Amino acid sequence: MTKELEQSQQESSTTFNGTVALIGLFGGLFWSVIGYVAFYLNFARVGPALALMPWALGDWKNGWLGQLVGILFIAVVSIPVAFLYRMIFAKINKPWPGLLFGLSLWVVIFWVFNPMFPGLKSLQQLDLNTIITTICLYLVYGLFIGYSISYEYHERTAHESEAIQS
Amino acid sequence: MSSKVKKIDENDVFSRDLRENEKRITERIGIGTSFDVGVRKLYILDKEVHFYFVNGLCDIQYVVELLKELMYLDANETKENRVKDQIENRLTHVQVEHVGNMGEALTHMLSGLVFILVEGESDALVVDVRSYPGRGPEEPDTERVVRGSRDGYTENIIENTALTRRRIRDEKLRHEIMKVGARSKTDICISYIDGVADPNLVNIIRKELEAIDIDGLTMADKVVEEFVVKQGNNPFPIVRYTERPDVAATHLLEGHVLVIVDASPSVIIFPTTFFHHVQHAEEFRQAPFVGTFLRWVRFVGMLFSLFILPLWLLMVMQPSLLPETLDFIGPNETTNIPVFAQIVIAELGIELLRMAAIHTPSPLATALGLVAALLIGEIAIEVGLLVPEVILYVAVGAIGMFATPSYELSLALKMLRLALIILVAIFKAPGFIIGTTIFFIFLALIKSLNVPYLWPFLPFYPKALLDIVIRQGVPMKRRRPSIVKPQDPIKQGPA
Repeated sequence: MTKELEQSQQESSTTFNGTVALIGLFGGLFWSVIGYVAFYLNFARVGPALALMPWALGDWKNGWLGQLVGILFIAVVSIPVAFLYRMIFAKINKPWPGLLFGLSLWVVIFWVFNPMFPGLKSLQQLDLNTIITTICLYLVYGLFIGYSISYEYHERTAHESEAIQS
Repeated sequence: MSSKVKKIDENDVFSRDLRENEKRITERIGIGTSFDVGVRKLYILDKEVHFYFVNGLCDIQYVVELLKELMYLDANETKENRVKDQIENRLTHVQVEHVGNMGEALTHMLSGLVFILVEGESDALVVDVRSYPGRGPEEPDTERVVRGSRDGYTENIIENTALTRRRIRDEKLRHEIMKVGARSKTDICISYIDGVADPNLVNIIRKELEAIDIDGLTMADKVVEEFVVKQGNNPFPIVRYTERPDVAATHLLEGHVLVIVDASPSVIIFPTTFFHHVQHAEEFRQAPFVGTFLRWVRFVGMLFSLFILPLWLLMVMQPSLLPETLDFIGPNETTNIPVFAQIVIAELGIELLRMAAIHTPSPLATALGLVAALLIGEIAIEVGLLVPEVILYVAVGAIGMFATPSYELSLALKMLRLALIILVAIFKAPGFIIGTTIFFIFLALIKSLNVPYLWPFLPFYPKALLDIVIRQGVPMKRRRPSIVKPQDPIKQGPA
């Protein structure tokens, strides 16, 4: 019995921060793969390799290897992004902050920091398909990270209060 | 309780005068007008005794047995103080009840029980001699497996609870029964394991069921579903149905709650997510590795069936979007009819065929298949109505749909695919992208009984998602899924 209790405690002891990091990692991985599919189908002119553009890395970054590394890079970068969300919105257990978060990420990257990406045309010159595809991707990416974190936060706090009550 | 159903009229009691009772009963249930209700009168020890019954719902053999027993009583025993006690003593059955309320006794009678009135007594003896017309447990058509049990739920709620009980002999398994429907008085049973299922969930479901105030539930579980989960305009199924007792028992053990409605062979599983609809019992009858393979094939098939037609249409309309490696796709010859129209014709054709196949008597089914496959397909191409590629992709889509374990989900996906096709035809690539995004967000926002529809993908629960992507061995699954908020999260001891 005690052994079982110990184990159950161990299993549930994945910390909230650990979960947030995992959500970020997986969210980045999954949605950048979808981004690559969109790029492959020519919906968007830019693929996940966009994340590597600010750095001078050699020619490989423009090929499929660049896309692959871009996917991994986005996955890793998504961890701090997830923590950013956790700091701002975690307490609102609703889906809309996630959508808002994704949209503002898009604005920051494609508009504010646009000059940092050499391969990226300015917004006025980008074609409609690329803009729509990337906005949609950032929306679902934000929703994924945001909703997951808020829900997890809510679940954990709800359980804690239950524990206090009993 | 639904006020009209359950409120028992306190003044509606039997009188001590048998004649008056008979008159009231005859008036209320129309003995003499309805041919299927009747009364058998006999004299036992100088007292008049009435048997009230419904034809067809009770086992006549058994009623005859009871009558015989009473006739022996009349012949062999002498009259003592209370004839009623003597009669009750001779009723050879395990379920005998005293009922003083006439309405209640009549409801019992109309459910197939008989009630016995004795001269000078103010309560009835109700004997359960029910025997409903129905079939035996057969393998459900929609959830066949290669290996595994072949029994399925039937239209009889008592048999259904028994089939569940046969798999879970737990003393904590609860079957709560209630009557819903002012006129139909349909039996509904909530099944759960006390101490595992979330009591809040049980309470919510019980409350929703009690709040149903309708004349009858002829469409049984579907009506109940619509009342409990408030579907609205959402085409996606938000509860799962199953006709397999083993699937139902598995879900009970996981902490789900079942609702069984009389006269329907499918039981409702609460709560369910999208991913409950893409699993099948067959996967759990094969080795985990094989099960995973089957599941992946099915996932890929479903994704294909959803996206391949809209994507292909898009590529035909805008060949510039085609990746170089996929250059060969797209009709080579010029088409007589716009591709969009061809797709719609073919899609509607397949849907029509499916409906026709359901309603066609089985001796004609082969003929139907022949007409469908050979004549329509072949000749449509020869005439120049359809290009072969349209038929290919529509067929792929249709097969993916048939491979979806949940019939409800496959219909919803089909409608979604049509919507995407129309969006692509009007708005091209932006239509496809925005449509898919909105569809995804829409699914993510559905919440039934407080459970997000896309759980465990969104909100992201790594362990539970892994369990869906990879069919894990049963010894590995130590915990119940957290989404049902089980009271006891541990399923089995440490491995």
